[in-house]
Amino acid sequence: MSAVLDVQGLYVLFGDAETVQMQRTVRGVTLDPAVEVTIVQPPGYRIGLANVAFTVNAGDCLAVLGRSGWGKSSLLRTLAGLQPAGNGRVVVKGQDVSARQPEQRNVVYLHQEPVLFPHLSVLDNVAFPMTIRGVDRQVSARRAIDLLARLQVAETRGNFPHALSGGQRHRVALARALSAEPAVLLLDEPLSSLDPEVRRDVRNALQEVRDASGAAMILVTHDLDDALVVASHIAVIGPFADLSEPLSPERMLDKPPHADAARLLGVFTELAGEIREDGHFHWLGGRIPAESMPEGRAVAFVRPHELRVERVTGVNVSSLVVTGRRDTAHDVSLTGRAEGGETVSVRTASGSDVQVGDSFVVHIDRARFFPAH
Amino acid sequence: MSRRGANPLHVLSLVALSLFALAPLLMLIVTSLARGWFYPAVAPTAVDGSAWRDLLADNAHRGALVTSLTLAVATALVGTALALPLGRAAAMSSRGVRRAVALLAFAAVALPPVALGVGLQLTVLTLGLGGTAAGVFLAHLVPALGYLTLVFLGVFTRWDARLEEAAATLGAASATRWKLVLLPLLKRPIVEAMALGFLVSWSQVALTLLVGGGAVRTLPLDVLAMLQAGQDQRAAAGALALAIPAFIVLGVTRVAVRNTAAVVA
Repeated sequence: MSAVLDVQGLYVLFGDAETVQMQRTVRGVTLDPAVEVTIVQPPGYRIGLANVAFTVNAGDCLAVLGRSGWGKSSLLRTLAGLQPAGNGRVVVKGQDVSARQPEQRNVVYLHQEPVLFPHLSVLDNVAFPMTIRGVDRQVSARRAIDLLARLQVAETRGNFPHALSGGQRHRVALARALSAEPAVLLLDEPLSSLDPEVRRDVRNALQEVRDASGAAMILVTHDLDDALVVASHIAVIGPFADLSEPLSPERMLDKPPHADAARLLGVFTELAGEIREDGHFHWLGGRIPAESMPEGRAVAFVRPHELRVERVTGVNVSSLVVTGRRDTAHDVSLTGRAEGGETVSVRTASGSDVQVGDSFVVHIDRARFFPAH
Repeated sequence: MSRRGANPLHVLSLVALSLFALAPLLMLIVTSLARGWFYPAVAPTAVDGSAWRDLLADNAHRGALVTSLTLAVATALVGTALALPLGRAAAMSSRGVRRAVALLAFAAVALPPVALGVGLQLTVLTLGLGGTAAGVFLAHLVPALGYLTLVFLGVFTRWDARLEEAAATLGAASATRWKLVLLPLLKRPIVEAMALGFLVSWSQVALTLLVGGGAVRTLPLDVLAMLQAGQDQRAAAGALALAIPAFIVLGVTRVAVRNTAAVVA
């Protein structure tokens, strides 16, 4: 399948007055001082993300995960042409659009809060891109109604935006985006401010859009569940970011590319320890086989279903004493104290009967290891 | 919550305010129709419309009215056309530029009319427009531009730029964004700015006198001249004639902005 969106060597700028020299470390990405690169850096901007490269195919949705301030929105706004880029190329359907205005890119950007035109009815909002293209009014109205029906908000077509609920506003904004027939659809945290019910509703709408539009989509989010439901691939942005090899959601969960990505996913227990010459990772609660890993300080990441806790009587070298327990809908977090006084937190699948004050040992079926920095 | 009875103090305040606002207007109406009304008579001895007939029949007054209207309409249109992009550019600029523009706009508004008038008179004379309607128009434009720039600076400081971003990525070029998004959403401040520009020019006396040098006759100057000549009845009719277009502009503005969408989302 050919790439609809092809981004090569893009430098994403952050819009503030701080100036950063090229030969410095930029958010953890050390630029090679031997490589002379002249970066276009307009006044008032600094380099945020360096040398970003990735592709997205038609019908695929790339979820970009990252914490606040790591440049997720700046990346999308740069792709949409809403803020200047440093160097690099943005190619949409084989056309280099890097120097084009936003309206000439065939890239639709959806803000976190749906931005509907308050003076236009829902129908006119959705027909807006067709009005611009000079499509006959009756034809555009029919098409707008079809799109509204596809997104299950046809009944709102006569309303004005202020009369819509949060979920309806998102659906109408999506319908309007689709009516522009974009090659690339950029979604900037569309689910972050929604309550759980509306969030599920909009997630479903995004799934429908992904399946129906054929556009290359990028979903920026800091929520793994959103990415898992909507995206076909996941990439992590930020320190040590490498967007060039997005992973499938399953692969990302199975083997995150680096420790920062694993932390960001937010589903792992992180254990600090050391890989020794016996080929095991040693931590407070025991040891785990870690063949083919170099010796030295390391961190292990374990998913809740890969970690079992067992209540024990008495104290042995590997047992911990529960000092805190927190139950959530998905798992149980236990804080344990070792004999030497150090503490560690583990998350296990719900059902554990270990209570505060009990001694327990941890059995780990599988872990992912990364060198500790 | 139950409604409480009217507070006597509030009622008294309202009556006093109404008297202050309406008494001069009532006095003008009565004076414009009164004949032979001198102190200590409580009421006029006779009523007639001669002052109004004289005012309407006098070609010079009619010319002054046309000049006033032309200047006010031109000031409203040109002032709004200049202030809108100026206020927008300032609002989108750095804080320093924004403050500088606001300061300059405020200076044009806050300077005493005579001080401003002397400065403008010298400028207009340099341009060779002293004593011309064009010179007076430029003089009226300065305070109007100050007011209107402050209006649009406020509007665009609160403006939701995401509306334009959304329109742009949906395929709308700059001209289309203005036509389909900005202007419809700015209808209210534009109409209100035009009304303000009209009224600033319509009520100018000092600037017209200083820059026009008496060669440009406007209705306010005519009314002033009648008053100085002791023609109270005609001056009252002229003053009412001055007030009527102002009320019409305010009324039209109210109707024009009814049911318009909010300026900012």
